[in-house]
Amino acid sequence: MSPGFSPRGERGGRGGFRGGSGDRGGRGSFGGRGSFGDRGGRGSFGDRGGRGSFGDRGRGGFRGGREGGGFRGRGGGRGAPRGRGGFGAGRKVVVEPHRHEGVFICRGKEDALVTKNMAVGESVYGEKRISVEEGETKIEYRAWNPFRSKLAAAILGGVDQIHIKPGAKVMYLGAASGTTVSHVSDIVGPEGLVYAVEFSHRSGRDLLNVAKKRTNIIPIIEDARHPHKYRMLVGMVDVIFADVAQPDQTRIVALNAHNFLKNGGHFVISIKANCIDSTAAPEAVFASEVKKMGAENMKPQEQLTLEPYERDHAVVVGIYRPPPKQKK
Amino acid sequence: MATFRKALKSKQRNHHERAQLGSRNYLGLLEKKKDYKLRANDYHKKQNLLSALRKKAMEKNPDEFYFKMISSKLEDGEHRANRASWDVEVTEEQRKMMRTQDIKYVEMKRVADARKIERMKAELHLLDAKGKEENKHTFFVDSKREVQEFDLAERLNTVPELVGRVYNRPTLETLKTKSIQGATDKRNLQKLARQRGHQYTILTQRIERERKLYVISQKIQCRREIQDKTKRVKMSNETKEAAAVYKFESKRKR
Ligand SMILES: C[S@@+](CC[C@H](N)C(=O)[O-])C[C@H]1O[C@@H](n2cnc3c(N)ncnc32)[C@H](O)[C@@H]1O
Repeated sequence: MSPGFSPRGERGGRGGFRGGSGDRGGRGSFGGRGSFGDRGGRGSFGDRGGRGSFGDRGRGGFRGGREGGGFRGRGGGRGAPRGRGGFGAGRKVVVEPHRHEGVFICRGKEDALVTKNMAVGESVYGEKRISVEEGETKIEYRAWNPFRSKLAAAILGGVDQIHIKPGAKVMYLGAASGTTVSHVSDIVGPEGLVYAVEFSHRSGRDLLNVAKKRTNIIPIIEDARHPHKYRMLVGMVDVIFADVAQPDQTRIVALNAHNFLKNGGHFVISIKANCIDSTAAPEAVFASEVKKMGAENMKPQEQLTLEPYERDHAVVVGIYRPPPKQKK
Repeated sequence: MATFRKALKSKQRNHHERAQLGSRNYLGLLEKKKDYKLRANDYHKKQNLLSALRKKAMEKNPDEFYFKMISSKLEDGEHRANRASWDVEVTEEQRKMMRTQDIKYVEMKRVADARKIERMKAELHLLDAKGKEENKHTFFVDSKREVQEFDLAERLNTVPELVGRVYNRPTLETLKTKSIQGATDKRNLQKLARQRGHQYTILTQRIERERKLYVISQKIQCRREIQDKTKRVKMSNETKEAAAVYKFESKRKR
């Protein structure tokens, strides 16, 4: 067995990983070495034209790079930055906007999912901060560890929609110490809101500290099974994210959805197969949960397992009380 | 003048050592000076050592004290070292203690590695690592027809070329409106990719080492446990990758 990048805290078994540097652009990847553009080649962003390549003619493509399509490389022609040296000097990383607004991919010596730090200069749980100079302004990003956060794992796993975006109102069930919540707060930004529900007082203490620095987090230390206890605090929300790891998780989400989720709002639920039924096969557990959702007027749209970051975990994304279909 | 001489020298033919004559070919290759020097130096070194030893033996004072005098003796004409003071029998109790200490040391090293791995993983997210475990993505649609007409790129609102780039498949809007920041020139990017590759190599090695240390500590622990005389059954043998497994009779401890 090759050394496994196995999920946290588990040992042996499946999951080999050969630590390749990756980035050897191929079909379906952006062109050369992690760059957008400038290498051309089949299926990459190049200036070669032809089917499916991004030219200015194409359907899309990051607008107007210097060498054909591709993300426009700002900071390209500027003089050398007065690098502070070490980590953080502008040129040591490439920051690429992610499919999900508010999320970025940062590649340099690190290879990380990041969010734009709302509380500049502060780490929440000791995560690495990465700052990038853009002319005069300096933007700071925080690494978002997919080995610790199910939402991050889902994003890197290629989930279609997270429905958490700038300006969104999010209800987060099972906030724990607020590690993931802090990133959600980064994404929704000052215009958005995160209602973070957690019933353990011990984790709640950390959560409160996180909320002190981030005004868009409203911490709620209550049992998510009793939404009426905090109904005064919470308005209607656009999305419910749940990671409570309880056997009756779907019911908990449904209860909250009935109270706070707008019609046509969305839910994102992380399911840990072990927590629901440790004897059944994970696949079966996921299927039965999906079924339960259907009974609660929650319509699943996609399901994603979280390898290689977590084992026997899945994330289900769906819509609540979908508007009736228009017949054409 | 010197330049003149040098200029002349450049016209000279190089001196080559003579090869074996054809008529003496049966004697093998002719030894060159270089080879001779090696042989001669070796010979002289040995001779010098022999004469030094001979001299030492001759000048030996039989009444002088030396440590081997008391720590070794002749037995049946053979020279035997006495057992050193540190090489005494260890009791079972002591051996157990030593093993405990061994485990503690190995565990300490392992935990240090595990910490480092955690730290590295916090910023190395296997974005397009080769050979990582694949996940499974399921879409739910309403009708059979939608299943047949399903097109991943269309569903994800991206371009077909990006469908395989799972960690980030920007939507068409993102591609049009957003731009990339930071390093963009090719050389810089290549350098970064190399550095990143190196980080991943280190991480892989750490993971491997942590795993080995884990096996070692399990093995030592196993040996320590079976020192006791508790009744037990062997469930599986020790292998390269795992300690043996025993099942012990359960006994109430007071
Ligand atoms: C797996 S952890 C969530 C980790 C977090 N999502 C993150 O990524 O950082 C689950 C959390 O849900 C909390 N929890 C469990 N049942 C709950 C309930 N009924 N109401 C509120 N929180 C609950 C637990 O206290 C625990 O902290």
